[in-house]
Amino acid sequence: MSTSDMIKMALRNLWKRKLRTFLTILGVVIGTASIVVMVSIGIGMNESFQQQVEEWGSLQVINVSTAGGGMVSSVSDSGSSKDKKQATEITVSTIEEFKKIPGVETATPVMSEYLYFICGKYMADASVKGIDPSSMEAMGYKVEQGRGLEEGDNNTLVFGADVVTGFYNPKLSWEMRYNSPSPEVDVLNDKVMITTDWNYGTRNADKNVKPIKVDVVGILPSSGETGYSVFMPIKALEKIKQDQQEYEEKKSETKNTNKVKKGVYQNAMVKVQSMEEVQSVQDTIKAMGFQAYSLTDELETMKETTKMLRMMLGAIGAISLIVAAIGITNTMVMAIYERTREIGVMKVIGASLSDIKKLFLTEAAFIGFVGGFVGIIVSLGSSKIVNIIAINTNSNMLSSIPLWLCGASLIFATFIGIAAGYLPAKRAMKLSALSAIKTE
Amino acid sequence: MAENVIKIRNVKKVYRMGQEKISAVNNISLNIAYGEICCLLGKSGSGKSTLLNLIAGLEKPTKGSIIFNKCHIERMNEDQLAKFRQQYVGFVFQSYNLLSTLTALENVTLPLIFRKVPVAERNKKAMQMLEAVGLSERANHKPSEMSGGQQQRVSIARAFINSPQVVFADEPTGNLDTKTTYEMMDLITTLAEKNKQTLVIVTHDLEIAEYANRIIHISDGKIEKIEQNTNRKRATIEGGSKK
Repeated sequence: MSTSDMIKMALRNLWKRKLRTFLTILGVVIGTASIVVMVSIGIGMNESFQQQVEEWGSLQVINVSTAGGGMVSSVSDSGSSKDKKQATEITVSTIEEFKKIPGVETATPVMSEYLYFICGKYMADASVKGIDPSSMEAMGYKVEQGRGLEEGDNNTLVFGADVVTGFYNPKLSWEMRYNSPSPEVDVLNDKVMITTDWNYGTRNADKNVKPIKVDVVGILPSSGETGYSVFMPIKALEKIKQDQQEYEEKKSETKNTNKVKKGVYQNAMVKVQSMEEVQSVQDTIKAMGFQAYSLTDELETMKETTKMLRMMLGAIGAISLIVAAIGITNTMVMAIYERTREIGVMKVIGASLSDIKKLFLTEAAFIGFVGGFVGIIVSLGSSKIVNIIAINTNSNMLSSIPLWLCGASLIFATFIGIAAGYLPAKRAMKLSALSAIKTE
Repeated sequence: MAENVIKIRNVKKVYRMGQEKISAVNNISLNIAYGEICCLLGKSGSGKSTLLNLIAGLEKPTKGSIIFNKCHIERMNEDQLAKFRQQYVGFVFQSYNLLSTLTALENVTLPLIFRKVPVAERNKKAMQMLEAVGLSERANHKPSEMSGGQQQRVSIARAFINSPQVVFADEPTGNLDTKTTYEMMDLITTLAEKNKQTLVIVTHDLEIAEYANRIIHISDGKIEKIEQNTNRKRATIEGGSKK
């Protein structure tokens, strides 16, 4: 029997018992829709996590630190860590090595320093991150106003929006600072200076510490981690830090053993080309003896904690699909009882065993396919409703149906149909031609 | 004497009914020749239908062998039997056994569908068959829209469409009135004779047995006597078609 004849005959048999076919398909529709919606809520949850984590920074950036955890300390190469290489410093050549790891887009050394900013009579403070200015854009820092750091920048700053609104008048008491509205400061156009003296502007100010004039070229948006950060070319920051340390040495007349060495850093950031490669790059960096951490780790942890919930959602959907599968089996068994005679006749006039089996499997597969197809349409609609409710109730139970889920559920529903129809089809195949035609 | 298409050798069929054993067919040997119209005549329960089922491969004998064109039917498996029926055998049943979801034309094409004959070719052949049985204008009707006689005509067309070597007819007129019975018998024998096909009819009706060249009387699972019917009844309607 040819495939087209088989499909034609199967459709006709299903059409003959319209109501029963409809009800069986309805079961599959409900089963498919529930599994798709449940899985889509799980996917939606992961997506909202990802969005949330991305607000903290790029998922493709790996933060690298030396084994000392950023502290300048000599890590002894003894004891249990003997077999494990422990790197203690990041130098320009280390950064070059990072850049050579497959999948790495760019890398930059990182240093941070808590500094104070002066704009007119106002002051602000923030942690200043020194990075390679050419890598700023690649690291995912996008300015809202002005421009980002560029190659060749020196005493140039990019402010986080929350730092800009955090300017205060140092002459006021803490209480008054807290109660007065934040002053209007135009950091992009006004003269801005930077200092290491936290008493600047007060009576206790150290007159020997000279503020350095800087250019503020851009402002980062206030969301996430960047809002409270200030970025600066690493070379300039290094210079400020060295000058400060030298000054303090002179002042206290003691030698600082932990002095910053030029071109030696404790931290770095590595940008990976795609999220899939983050893990492998991270592993490579760890193997080099560094500590590596990325927001992908964070995301994985979040996904892990909700895995149970997602599995439960999937299981609820799966139960309805199992019930639908039993419905298909029931329908097919009923069909065989009703069509015993017909099966017998077909056998007597030359249908092969596989023809009979295929005919019933085609009918069951069709129920699964149509049920799956309609189920996907229903779930697309339900997903919209779930999202409207989630947005109105501010819940993160968003539903998202990617294309692969549609395809997979259609294949799965068809497969369920075939699986549910298999035993009845086998039973039909085994019916004796004679007893079949004797049935009155 | 013409060559035999079917050779039945010492065939026995025993059914178990609880503790009791019933021999439906008891040690029957018989030859059926090519182109012969042969009738198995007997009362209800005589074993004639069982014998037909054994010959057609619908049941397996308890003992003995049935040879069709040198092939042992009793040794064939289900798949081989399906192929065998597809190629060599046509069936006409008492209760027509048409598929209710298919039209007359589709019912007739069914054996060709199983043989994977292309649509155009099988429809052409089926139309010719329906014309031969006088039902061309009802080709697109479903069985439920046809009378018993018309349904049996469709069933006859279906049995002959494959040009099988042997056509088995089990009480083909059991559900029909007298007039239609004769029409059917005329049709079926005319078609078989025209194509030199072997026809095996099972009946309890002597009038129908009159259409055969040879009447095999069966009683209690045994051949009672074999009667050569030299004065056999011929088709009264030209070409077997209904006027």
